[in-house]
Amino acid sequence: MIKIEHLSKTYDDLTVLKDITIDIKKGEVISIIGPSGTGKSTFLRCLNLLDRPSGGSIHVDGVNILDAKADVPRIRQKMNMVFQSFNLFSHLSVLENLTIAPIKLRGMSRQDAELKSLELLKLVGLAEKTDSYPDELSGGQKQRVAIARCLAMKPEIILFDEPTSALDPTMISEVLSVIRRLTKEGITMVIVTHEMDFARDVSSRVLYMDEGLIYEEGTPQQIFENPQKEKTRAFINRIRSFNYRISSPDYDLYAMNAEIETFCEKQILPRKTRHNVLLLVEELLQIYSPYLNATLLDLTLAYSEKRESLELVVESMGEALNPLNKNLLPDELGLNIINSLTESIDYQRLDNRNRLTLHMRKS
Amino acid sequence: MEIQIKKETSATVITITGRFDAVTTPQYEKTMNELITGGDIAFVVDFDGLDYISSAGLRGLLFTAKQLKGKGGQIRFANVKGTVKEVFDISGFGSIFQMDDSVSASLAKVS
Repeated sequence: MIKIEHLSKTYDDLTVLKDITIDIKKGEVISIIGPSGTGKSTFLRCLNLLDRPSGGSIHVDGVNILDAKADVPRIRQKMNMVFQSFNLFSHLSVLENLTIAPIKLRGMSRQDAELKSLELLKLVGLAEKTDSYPDELSGGQKQRVAIARCLAMKPEIILFDEPTSALDPTMISEVLSVIRRLTKEGITMVIVTHEMDFARDVSSRVLYMDEGLIYEEGTPQQIFENPQKEKTRAFINRIRSFNYRISSPDYDLYAMNAEIETFCEKQILPRKTRHNVLLLVEELLQIYSPYLNATLLDLTLAYSEKRESLELVVESMGEALNPLNKNLLPDELGLNIINSLTESIDYQRLDNRNRLTLHMRKS
Repeated sequence: MEIQIKKETSATVITITGRFDAVTTPQYEKTMNELITGGDIAFVVDFDGLDYISSAGLRGLLFTAKQLKGKGGQIRFANVKGTVKEVFDISGFGSIFQMDDSVSASLAKVS
């Protein structure tokens, strides 16, 4: 139904979309997830021709919509959009907001347009608000009116651009439940959203966008349960990380500790957990100390908010070396402490680097 | 780490506060070495104000204990608790060292 090839969008020196290629089939519900500023909304705006792509092609049912002769109003009727900030006409009543486009663009009679609009307002639970003005409505109600207004044009495709991002948490569910209901109507939908549970429930396919690309795509199960790529995993598991490089045996333990503490405080980790992280890092550095003249050490502390778990990765250059090998240690005091603080320890030799991954025990 | 020294009749009481780690252990070892060299052979170490110990600190405690053993001396630990106690337990130090609930209890047991 929609065929997008090598789509790109550049603003002056800033490349927002690098190279997007994807086919969207009729009836598919596609969620687009990813960090802010990675081009998700720009992608939708390019589809709806609110932004002109810098390169590539978009075909809808075989029609090249980037062609200079393309009938843009007709395309927008077919592929309508719901915005984050509702974009209702504030000087028109709810009913007038719904009827204006069908009357003016589709040539519907006022009576038919009003009848259809009432049906749609019932569908989104706002039949009693026909005479209200947008300023009299809550954010959730405004967005439901915006969805009804979009449906009034009988679109075959609906693009939702973060439809709940401007709403108070209490109003998000009322809007999501309306969209959820629409997914069962067979309308093709592309939804940019930060509501992960919603995306998992309603989508037939999920696109993870990052760096101006479709970085990974798959079924909700593939993306949410078993993402293959590192950035997708970090995003899905809400992983935040802290890096520190040790480049000398005379490293400043307290300067590093202060940075680790700051990172842990930002993640609101309990005092006991912070203590255990500092202890684990110190014990590891003690064990690595004989090698610090010859190698750099890269520490990465990663916290998964979703799993509430902490992982410490220590990477070193040089010869293959697992420093936790008992035969290399003068005593086992440090190793015993490390073992007591961790659930699992994994050593790997990757690309001429030694990688030690430690999963911390929950304290 | 802050170290305070108080000489009681039966032993010298060493009060350590703060962190006992790779950075501060040499400070403990130096203080103890000076006292042992000066003739002190009975010690009570008060851990009440200590909130962190690593294996480096444990090695410092072991090092001093060995020094004392060679001179027929003794050392008791008081108020080992919280995360410090956990590290002691993981390392089996609870069975190596003599520990008491208070400094006065330790002093009473120093022969």
